[in-house]
Order: sequence, then structure tokens, then C-alpha cells
Amino acid sequence: MSPPTQGIWAIVLLVLTIAAAAVFGYRVLGLYRLLRLGRDESRVDQPWRRLRDEIVVYLGQRKLLKRPYYIRGVGHALIFWGFLVITWGSADLLLRGIVGWQLPFTDTAAYAWILDVFAVAVLVSVVVAVFRRAVLRPPRMHRVPEGYVILTLIGFLMLTLLVFESAAIAATRDELGQLLRVFPPVAAALAPLISTAAGPAIFAGAWWAHVVTILAFAVYLPRTKHLHIVTTLPNVFFRSSRPRGALQLIDDIENKETFGAANVRDFSWKQLLDGYTCTECGRCSDNCPALATGKTLDPQKIVLDIRDQLLREGPKLLADAKAETTAPAHWVATKPDELWACTTCAACVEACPVTIEHIDKIVDMRRSLTLMEGAAPPEAQRAMTNIERAGNPWGEARATRGDWAEGLGIPTFAEKPDAEYLYFVGCAASYDRRNQRVARALASILKSAGVSFAILGAAETCNGDPARRMGNEYLFQLQAQQNIETLNAAAVKKVITSCPHCFNTIANEYPQLGGNYEVVHALPLVKKLLAEKKLTLTGGAAAEIVAYHDPCYLGRHNGIYDAPRDVLDAVPGVTRAEIAPHNRERGFCCGAGGGRMWMEEKMGQRVNHRRVDQLLATKSGATKVASGCPYCLIMLEEGVGAKGVQESIKPVDVLELVAARLETS
Amino acid sequence: MKFLVCLKQVPDSTVRVKVAADGKSIATDGITWSISPYDEYAIELALEHKDGDPSTTVSVVTVGPARSRDALRQALAMGCDDATLVTAADTVGGLDVAKALAAVVKEAKPDVVLCGKQASDDDQGLVGPALAEALGWPHVGMLTKIAAVADGVELWREIEGGHEVWTAPTPVVGLVHKSAKEPRYPSLPGIMKAKKKEIPEKDLAALGVTPGAPRAEVVAMEPPPQRGGGKILKADGDVKALAAELARLLHEEAKVL
Repeated sequence: MSPPTQGIWAIVLLVLTIAAAAVFGYRVLGLYRLLRLGRDESRVDQPWRRLRDEIVVYLGQRKLLKRPYYIRGVGHALIFWGFLVITWGSADLLLRGIVGWQLPFTDTAAYAWILDVFAVAVLVSVVVAVFRRAVLRPPRMHRVPEGYVILTLIGFLMLTLLVFESAAIAATRDELGQLLRVFPPVAAALAPLISTAAGPAIFAGAWWAHVVTILAFAVYLPRTKHLHIVTTLPNVFFRSSRPRGALQLIDDIENKETFGAANVRDFSWKQLLDGYTCTECGRCSDNCPALATGKTLDPQKIVLDIRDQLLREGPKLLADAKAETTAPAHWVATKPDELWACTTCAACVEACPVTIEHIDKIVDMRRSLTLMEGAAPPEAQRAMTNIERAGNPWGEARATRGDWAEGLGIPTFAEKPDAEYLYFVGCAASYDRRNQRVARALASILKSAGVSFAILGAAETCNGDPARRMGNEYLFQLQAQQNIETLNAAAVKKVITSCPHCFNTIANEYPQLGGNYEVVHALPLVKKLLAEKKLTLTGGAAAEIVAYHDPCYLGRHNGIYDAPRDVLDAVPGVTRAEIAPHNRERGFCCGAGGGRMWMEEKMGQRVNHRRVDQLLATKSGATKVASGCPYCLIMLEEGVGAKGVQESIKPVDVLELVAARLETS
Repeated sequence: MKFLVCLKQVPDSTVRVKVAADGKSIATDGITWSISPYDEYAIELALEHKDGDPSTTVSVVTVGPARSRDALRQALAMGCDDATLVTAADTVGGLDVAKALAAVVKEAKPDVVLCGKQASDDDQGLVGPALAEALGWPHVGMLTKIAAVADGVELWREIEGGHEVWTAPTPVVGLVHKSAKEPRYPSLPGIMKAKKKEIPEKDLAALGVTPGAPRAEVVAMEPPPQRGGGKILKADGDVKALAAELARLLHEEAKVL
């Protein structure tokens, strides 16, 4: 049926459309100008990967369809895909109504069918969404009236669509040939409810109601979290191309005057765009180990605080570019406990459906605290001073770094300059007695497999990970440069680490400072050695069930989920157990990342104790819990001790299980 | 108020020191040096005053070899206003160091001179009191807090089980035991500013000090004896016998009972 916009009504529609577009444009421009208050940052490298992300993350809804959100994810995907299909039809309605042009496909039966099916799917999803909000009331979901307004608008759009489609069928059902046409199922089913005579009037009424609702939606959109349907597009495109585990480099640090973020202008425009894009879904908060254990940190709140600050203070800053005093801002100054509670475990980043970068914001604010104000917690300061002076956060003597290897016949690079691999031991395995056993286990594995390797001994120094994550970019760069000089002087090409933090920093962050090496964590290497039959394991040790704990910097930060499991599965006598559902990408942090290893944890439950609770709750019968990270090992040891279960479940490193079954020939 | 903090650069507490070949000094190659911890507390105490009253100035001075400049930079990075390096060999004795410091103090005319109660390398605790003597000023030890009062300062001293509050006229020499807060971590702008600051250098002769022959001499140094491995008693059921055996060992071998 032709649109009910004869004569003057086409002009009315034109005026309404222009007015709505003008308000929408004005509001979006305002948001764009606020965004430009942020500092510059280039985010256009790797354009093809960015386009691929759009297809997978935006169109494909990949990050919505994740454990444990499959049902909600499907609901959202239906609304979203429906929205895409229906938007095409909406554009067609407006164009046809105003100038009579028709968009391709809109007059085909196939399109009418798709529209019809999606309209119903969206309606059902809206009903489910309202039910969740009103009845199920999931924790940490912001139930603001806005959500209901949006759902009502969407629902009303679908209803009016179905009504005018049905009315059109009703009005034309007697026309010649229409009986042969394949009608869309739902609209066709509803059509008999409408008499042929009433058809045109109902069609016109529903049509106008539908079109005006679309326009109202456009006007309302920029003021709501529903703006994410627009901002997700750029937010996904401009997402960081850094490896997830790599923090942003402060370039030319010696010549800068301010560091980190103390107010909205110190964040990059992309970080501000994150705020516009946040849908307030709460998935980040749902998965945050700090929030789960009663800390004040709430990753969603961090994102929204920055957005609200921008919307509140931004107009003043736009009016006066030098308005230093108008933004005392400073959630930095008032809420440092939140910022220091973060373990940088990336559970929030992993969970976010719209690729918001939470850790970067938190670290930027920590940078302001540490570098500008020297205001890190005292224990963190102690750790940093220790790294500066002793090359390790525990403040153990620099000269004794290689002592763990004494008597094991492990050469240093000075003694064996042609070694193929450098084993970068790391501070924990060098000094912590428990983790020294892991270093020795790895050494025995490498020897058994005939891998040519050497260590740096006392010439090794902390890779800088804790300093960087405590916000001390300067100290990180000093440490990194020192290690890069040492590695380059020794002509090191390949690096093995037993610590995921060493692995992440050397593999993902040292390239920022010109250190490029082939870095491998010990567990993927052991997997390879097993596959190549360079390593043979024997039975003998009793059968045991071993639960695997995913270290954040192996798993979420570097995507290494399978190699450690494959190695465990290859160990004779070991049956692997999972700490489900908190495993793989939903693995729960041990509590030690982000420099937390050296800070007091006074608020709420200790994160590692919660992790042990989760471990025990699986009732898997595991007598060991294995990980591939020295921090996890220390935290799990403390956790099982505090829970009094150290006799029944022993924390180990996967490497120790392997080393215990080496064929001794 | 005007503070002058005297500091000493010492081997960092994380360094495992070794006795040098001469058997009476330590091997200094490859050592990390830092400000003696009690001197760091003294700096923190002075800077806390500056936090509360921006008109406060905090100067630092050290008497030592050229590498001591790094320690002064660290103090500047923490927020001290200016620094003076008096170059002198490591071997110059404590009394001569005190004389040199006295000359610097007379020139700078501070209200309060702070020193750590002792340096963490030789633990002699000599320079502070000697400096007060050389100046003829009062000196108060074991400070944990200083507050400005009319005609002088109120000084908090830590004593067994509590603290005492003394008052003293200025100028005064205070020997610091601890500050309320841990010594501050320098901000990066502070570090950068400190790098650019000029540190004037003086030698002992310019201050009118001729180092005399040392009045005390280190004759020999040796590392503490290696700790032997512990002894583990096997528990095989008979707890009473085990306890008796433990008591016997503590009495006869360890001689602690």
C-alpha cells in the first residue's frame, strides 16, 4: 500500500524528519565536542583488523554471546539484528513517505517475511527484558526508568509495525492477484481481525504512530545509554590494537610534565568514548574479583564516573579551555582505595560486550597518583623502592638472584653464550623458596629434553610488571631498558619464562621499547617438547585428580588456555578437573596481579580465599590445584593454609607435576 | 622555619655486603647506595613541616665521596629545596665530618638541624652529637616528631613504652629515630626537577677543616658465621620421649635452657 502521506502530509513528515534529525545532530555534535576535550590518541592502525572486529563484535554480537550470558545474549542479538532489518524498512518508510523513493528489497516477499519474523522476535525479547528488570532484578543492573522507556519505545515500534502491515493486507485482500501473494505469517494471521473497510484508516494511524515513534527515538537516543547502538560502531573500530596484556607506553617520559589521568581531559578521546558506549549492563562488575570480595572498586562505576564527570564538567571546560579550577574532578584524590583494589585480571575487559578498556583507565589514574603525587600505598612504595634498589619487589639481595641454581649445573649466559634459549627466571622463582622449586623443575625438564638454555643469574632484574601496574611507568621503563640492554648484549633471541607476568611483559610490552624476542611460556613449550617426543614421562606416581587454575596473564591476557591443560592431560596418572564455572575466560583471579601481591588487602574477603572457596565448591575430589604462575602459587598456598585444607589439597605448578615424572635415564 | 638535614650515603639495606681483600673494609664494587634509613626519616620529618607550611625550607648536606651526589639528588627528588655536597674521602673520621658540617651549618643558619640517630653502615651515632658540640647547640635524640611552638620547638622522643615531649630553643640539633609516615616516594616531576638542580660542591679545605689522623681504627671485619642447618626430630608416636629429647638438645647442644 502506498504511504498515507498524500499532499500536505508529505510536507508534515518532511518537517518532522528534519526537526528530529536536527535535534539528533545537535546532541551528537555536543557529545563529539566534549569527546574532543580528551587527549589525542591514534587508533587507526591495522584497519582491516578493525573492520573484521566490526563484523565479529558489532554485527556478529560475539562478545554478547558468552558464558554465562547466552540467553540474554541471544535476546540482545535478536533485538539488534531485528533493529538492523527494521531500520532498513524505517529508512524506506521515511523516504517513500516524503519523496516516494523506494529502497531495494523492501517490496519483496522475502523482506516482508524477515521483517515480520524479527518484529515478533524483538517483541518477545522486549517482554523477556522487561520481565528480567521488573521481576528477576539481576544484581548490579542499573534499573533506571530510562531502560523501561527504551523498551516501551521498541515494543511500541514493533506493535505499530505489525498493525500497519496487517491493516495493509486487510485493506488489499480483495484486490486482484493479492491472494496469490505469499503474505508474511504474523501480519497475515492478524489481518482477518481487521475489516477491509477499516483497513486504510488503521493502516494510516499505525503508520504515522510508527514513523513518529522512530523520530522520537532518534531525538531521545543521544541522552541515553541506548546511544550505544550508535557509539558501539566507532568504539569497536577504535578498540586498542595493543595485545590485551600490554599497557600503553608513555612516550618520551623524561620530557613530559604531567602523567596519567587526574581529570577528564587527561583521558584520551577513546577512553571518553568508552563512557558514551557503556550500556550499564553490569557484566564487568559481575565478573570483578575485587567487587565480588567486598572491595569498593566497581569497574562499571569507574567508566560511568568518568562519563558523568565529562557530561557535568565538560561544557564548562569547552567554554574556557584554561578552566583548570573548574574540574577539581578527582575521583583520583577521593577514591584511591577503589583504584588500588584492581588486580588487572581483565575479567571486566573480557566480559564487556562493547570493548570498553577498563584497565587502561584505572592504570592511568594510578599513574597520576604514583607519578604526580607520589601517593601509592606505603607497601606499594616499598615494593617500588625495592625494585629500584635491589631489582626485585621483595628487596632480596641483588647478588643472590641466581643462588637458586647453585649446584644444578645451570650455566649463565656469560658461561654459555651460544645457548639457544634464555630462561628468564623472574623475581618470584629466583627468591621465593616455594617457587624456586618450580624453577628447578623447569630446569630439569629442559635438561631432560635436551634444550640448550642459560640464565642471566645476578644480571637479571625485575621485568617491571609490578611497577608498571602500580602506575610507575618511569620505573617500568628503567627496568625494561636495563633488561633489554642485558638481553641484547648477550644476543638473546629466544626467551623462556615460567612466570606469565614475565612472559606478558617481555612478549607484549618490551617491543614498545625496542626489545623484540621470541618469548614462550614454559607450558606451551613443554607441550611442544612432549609432542616432539623430546620429553618422555613415566607413570609410577600415584593417580591423582588435579584441578587447573587459570592464571589471568596466561589465560585472559594472552589466550593460553589449552596448552597448560594439554600438558596436564599428558601427565601419566593425572586426571584434570576444572574449577567450573570459574575457569578459562571466566577464571577467577588469585588476587596478586596489578601489584596487589605486595599490597595489604584489608577490605572484604581476601580474593585468594574466595578462589579456594570456589575450588572446594566444585567437590571434584582434586588433591592438587595446579597453575602456571608463581603469584597464583603463593596466593593459593596462603589460601589453602588459611582455610585449613592444606593437607587435602596442595597447590603446585604444572611444571612440578611434569618434572616428577621425568624418565630418569 | 628553616631545616637543614645532614645525610649519609650508605650501602642499601638490600645489599649483601662482603669484606674487602684488606680484611677491614667492605667491597664496594657493584653496590647499590642509598640514603641511610634514619636520615630518610629525618628528611620526611622536615618535609612534613613543609607540607603544612610552604614557607618552610629544607636543605640537605652530606660529607662524602663524589657518588654521594646521588643521595642528594634523591633527597631533592623527595622535595628538598637545595643540596650541598662536601667532598671527602670515605676514610675521613666522624669528628672531622662533624666539623665540616658545623661550618656548613654556620653559613646556612638553619633553625633546626636534623640528622638520623645513626648511620646504618657503621652504626656509630657519633656525628650528630659531635655536630651539636661543635656548634654549641642543644641536641635531642630519638625524635619522632617536631612541632613549632613560641620561641622554639616541641620535640617528641620515643622512649620505652611511650614518648616524652621536650621543648628546646632554636637553633637546635635533632637526631631522628622515625617519622610518622614512611619516607615519601618521589614524584616523577620531582625526580626530573632534581636532575636539573645544581648541587654546589665544597671541599674540606674550603670549610677550614684539615682531616686529622683517625682517632679510632677498624682493625678487622668478618662476616657473621654461616648459619648451620637445623635439626629435625622425627615424631614416631612417643611424644613424651620426643619432648625429653628436645629438652636435652636445647640444654646440652644449643645451651639455651
